[in-house]
Order: sequence, then C-alpha cells, then structure tokens
Amino acid sequence: MKFAKLIIRNLFRNKLRTFLTLSLMGAIFFFVATLLSILQNFETAANSGEGQNRLGVQSAISLANPLPLSYQAKIATIPGIAEIAKLQWVGAYYKERKNFFANFAVDHDKMASVWDDYAIPADQLEAFKADRRGAIVGPELAKRYGWKIGDRVTLIGQIFPFNPETTIRGIYKHKFDTSSFFFHFDYFYESTKDMTGSTVGTFWVRVKDPKDMARISQQIDDMFRNSEYPTETFTEKEFQQQFMAMIGNIKLLFTVVSICAIFMVVLLAAITMSMAARERVTEVAVLKAIGFSSGTILTLMLIEFVTLGLIGGALGTLGAKYVYQMVNMTEVTQGFLVAFGVDAKTIATCLVASIVVGFLAGGLPALRSARLSVVDGLRKVW
Amino acid sequence: MSLVDIRDVHKVYKRDSFDVPVLNGISVSVPKGDFLALMGPSGSGKTTLLNLIAGIDRPTRGKVIVGEKEISAFSETKLAAWRATNVGFIFQMYNLIPVLNAADNVELPLLLTKLSKKERREHLETALNVVGLADRMTYFPRQLSGGQEQRVAIARAIVTDPTIIVADEPTGDLDAKSAHEILDLLHRLNADFQKTIIMVTHDPKAAERANHVLQLDKGVLVESERRDSAGSHG
Repeated sequence: MKFAKLIIRNLFRNKLRTFLTLSLMGAIFFFVATLLSILQNFETAANSGEGQNRLGVQSAISLANPLPLSYQAKIATIPGIAEIAKLQWVGAYYKERKNFFANFAVDHDKMASVWDDYAIPADQLEAFKADRRGAIVGPELAKRYGWKIGDRVTLIGQIFPFNPETTIRGIYKHKFDTSSFFFHFDYFYESTKDMTGSTVGTFWVRVKDPKDMARISQQIDDMFRNSEYPTETFTEKEFQQQFMAMIGNIKLLFTVVSICAIFMVVLLAAITMSMAARERVTEVAVLKAIGFSSGTILTLMLIEFVTLGLIGGALGTLGAKYVYQMVNMTEVTQGFLVAFGVDAKTIATCLVASIVVGFLAGGLPALRSARLSVVDGLRKVW
Repeated sequence: MSLVDIRDVHKVYKRDSFDVPVLNGISVSVPKGDFLALMGPSGSGKTTLLNLIAGIDRPTRGKVIVGEKEISAFSETKLAAWRATNVGFIFQMYNLIPVLNAADNVELPLLLTKLSKKERREHLETALNVVGLADRMTYFPRQLSGGQEQRVAIARAIVTDPTIIVADEPTGDLDAKSAHEILDLLHRLNADFQKTIIMVTHDPKAAERANHVLQLDKGVLVESERRDSAGSHG
C-alpha cells in the first residue's frame, strides 16, 4: 500500500505518546484477556467431555441439605445405572485455614469406576482401598505441600467436628482437577454419624449409556419427588455451573468488568487520538490542498488509529498468552485455575475488540480532520 | 489566451453574525505562462483571491474559470481531484510533513496518481534535481535549512507538472539570500518550464520578478501593471 509509510510514520511521530497509549491499551487488554480466559477456562472444563456419563444427585432444597444414605440402594435399582457412589464435601483445611482445598469423603471402592476420568495407578488404587484411612490427592496439591505417598496428613475439620487423620496412598492424574483430596467415606461416616445421621451430601451416578442421562435423571427425581428429601439430579456440567453460580454470576461480572475496561480504554484512546489529530490540523489542510480528498484523509487516519488499537490489543493479549505460558497459574491460584492459558478464541475476541476500540476512539477525530475546511486549516499556514 | 479567468467575483465571510466582504467584484485574466504577483496591504483580499484560483475556496458570487473549466461550480471531491493534477502549492512556512524525508514529501502528490513506484521515483528525482536538492533526498525537514525546505516544497509543487503554481509569501520566512534563490527558482520555472505562477507577496523586490503585478485594496483591484522585462536578478 503506497500510503503505508505515511501511516506508519504518523503512528510513531510522537514516540512517548505512542508508547504510553500502547502501554495503557496493552495493560487493559492484558486484563481483559485474563478475565475472558478465566471464563473460557471454566467453560472448557465444563464442556471437556469429562463426566459426560455422570449424574450428580443432590437435595432439591440446596446443595447444603443432605440426602439419606438409603437412597443409594434405591437409585441403584434404576435400569441403565452402572455404578453409584457417595461423595461428601468435608471442607477441612491443612494445618492453617489459609491451606484450604477441595476435600471429599468418597466410596473408596467405587471411586475408580464412577470417576473413570481420574487416572490412578493400579497399585496405588489398591493401597487406597486397603487402607481405611488412605487418601488420594491431586498432583498440584501434593507438590504444594510436598506430600509423598506414605506421608501422614491430618486435616482439620470446620463443618464437621472431625479431623481426618489420613495417609497418602495415591496421586491421581486428571485433565482439570489437579488439587482435590479424597479419603474413605466409611472413615468419615464412622466419625461423624452422631452428628450427621445417616446422610450424605451427594450421590454420583455413572450411567451405562450417555443417551439415557435424561431418562435416568428424571427417574431419580420422580422416585423421591413426594418424599421428605426430594432430589434434584444434574449432569456434571450443570452441577459445575450451579457450583459456579454459588459464588456469584461470575460470567456476568467478568463480562461487565471487561466491557467497562474496554469502555475506559476507548475514552482514554479517544483523548490521545484527538490530540494527535488536533496537532496535525495544518498538515491535513496541506494534504487536502494538494489533492487528498476528505475520504482519503478519513481512511488514512482511521487506518492509523485502528492500527494503534490493534497493536495495543495484540501487545496485551499476546503478552497475557506469553505470561500464562511462563507462569504456572495452577500453582499461583492453588488449583483454582488448571490448564490455564489464553486460547485462540480469546485472542481473536481481544483483537477484534481492539480494532473496535481504535475505530470508536479514532472515528470522531478522523471525521473532524476529514471535514476540515482547507481554508480554515491553512489560515494558520498561509 | 487566458488560463485563469476571474469574472466579477465576490467573497463574503461570515464571522459570527457579521458578513465580512473580502472581495468585491474582481475580474482578472491570467494568461498561460504568466508570472503574476498579487500585492496589497493586509486584508486586501489577495490571499482569498489566490485561494479561489487554487480551488480551495469558492466565491460567494461570480465565476472562477481555469483552463476553460468553471472550477467554482465543482463539488468538493471533484475540486480535490482537480487540484491534485492542476495546482502546485508553495506555502510561506513550507509545510513539509515533518515525519517524512524530502523524497517522501515530494512524492506525496504522486501517491494520488496511478504511477508505479518506479515512475514515482523518477518523477520525484527529476523534481528534486530541478530545485537542486537531489543530494538531500533522505534528509528530514528538521535537517534542512529554511531555504532548502522551501525548495523541497517547490519540488513537491512541481512534481505532478501542474498547470498553475500558487505561492503565498514564498519568501516571507527566509533570509535575503535564500529568498533570492527561491525567487530565482520560481523565475526559472516560469521562464524555462513555462509554468504559470501566481504569487502573493508584500515584498516589492519579489514582485519585481513577476511580469504582471496586481494591486488589491479593500477587496478591489486598484492597479494592474504588466512588465515585459521581469526576470532573474541573479
């Protein structure tokens, strides 16, 4: 393009201002890319295909309300169910309250079959099953606290007056969940039954054929609809989304914050671009005098401002991608973000947003320059 | 035969709620190859008349005809295209684009043509040769003296081989020596390349180079003097 040199030279004519503008845009798009990537991370985890043959059964009242243990045998009678296991959120911590992570009591003999996406070496699984106080932990968790197989780990209960004293018997591998802690439900029940009675937080069902998920879900809920403890059955994806909703409408919050950040960068960039256009009034008048049409001026300035936006967006977004490749976010967030990174979809979204920013912020200054009367512009010149 | 024909031109500017008449029924003919100097006190309307001839302003009344085309009736877009091929501008303050070097500044008007990169290069080299700055092609405006900047501006004005060159106080910001060189250059463009030049100036010495001098006062033509002996004072 024969105007490229003119556009590029104008873009970097005031190096300090360009640097500051790009820094500002880069910082904001880094932030936006991070927020969008967190959302994307949640979505990816929910849609990963893991647990696509699994249903969670909880109380229809709320996740905090338990269900009778007797439901397990009843649910197991429904045709199409391969396995059912109890899972109890324990909510304990390790040594200090800040050392908090997801910890569950689970049916030790059914864990491998219901949660078949958790890879546990056979010998470790057998050791876990054989030890009533055995525990299986995620690799990030083990790394964080320096745990090895055979280590004795005591958790401190908060919800239940019970401090599980466990021995690490295995370290599982999972695509997303790398920081959970599982131990025997029998051990938990034995220690807490006086308080909890014969109840458990949730049941998890693995169905033989994923096509039967809807039918089985309906059948489970129908079975207990008129009981004292009605159930609500979810797919794992729905369960995760419900869990996310418990800590607020994160998606809405992140989206609103991202839009606010982009709006802020539009305003700040508009000020910068207006200044850039204003100090070139006489140059624009000269260009128009020598034959540049209003349309050409408008196009050149818009390309310049959109390029500025795009460079800022690219710096921030690709910077975020690079930073999250270098930094282990799973470790930084103590397992909250697993396999975290800025994916192609987020990069594309941010780049399109940065083009829109350039267009919105530069549109008015470019239009004013294009509409400038040659005589008015040259009045400062002639 | 007239290249520029100004017929009973009036120009009134609006300033807030006031009408400010600047030109009051001017009629002028400028033959092809003329070197015309427009003189007069500040506010006499000479720059406005130059703007009308250059097609960057329109008369309130009357006609501006250049090369048998009534440019005062052209649309904004058509006028811009017309200026690109028919008018070369020389400004008092040179007005080169500071971020472009001399060659790129001279090339600017050529970017609006369909010439290839190679052809554009040939044209700009020729123009810079004419003004004697072929060895300063890569210099940026800040690296040039005022006289050199104005010569680059003249190269920019002639690079498309325009019909008319308009200049408003082209020596107004230059020292005597540089002004002399610029006037010599303009004279050469007129004498050797038959360029029609219309120049606004306050300087009687500059006006001496022209072969046709118009005196304006309060928007009317008060004197027209044609000289046959104008030329280089080098």
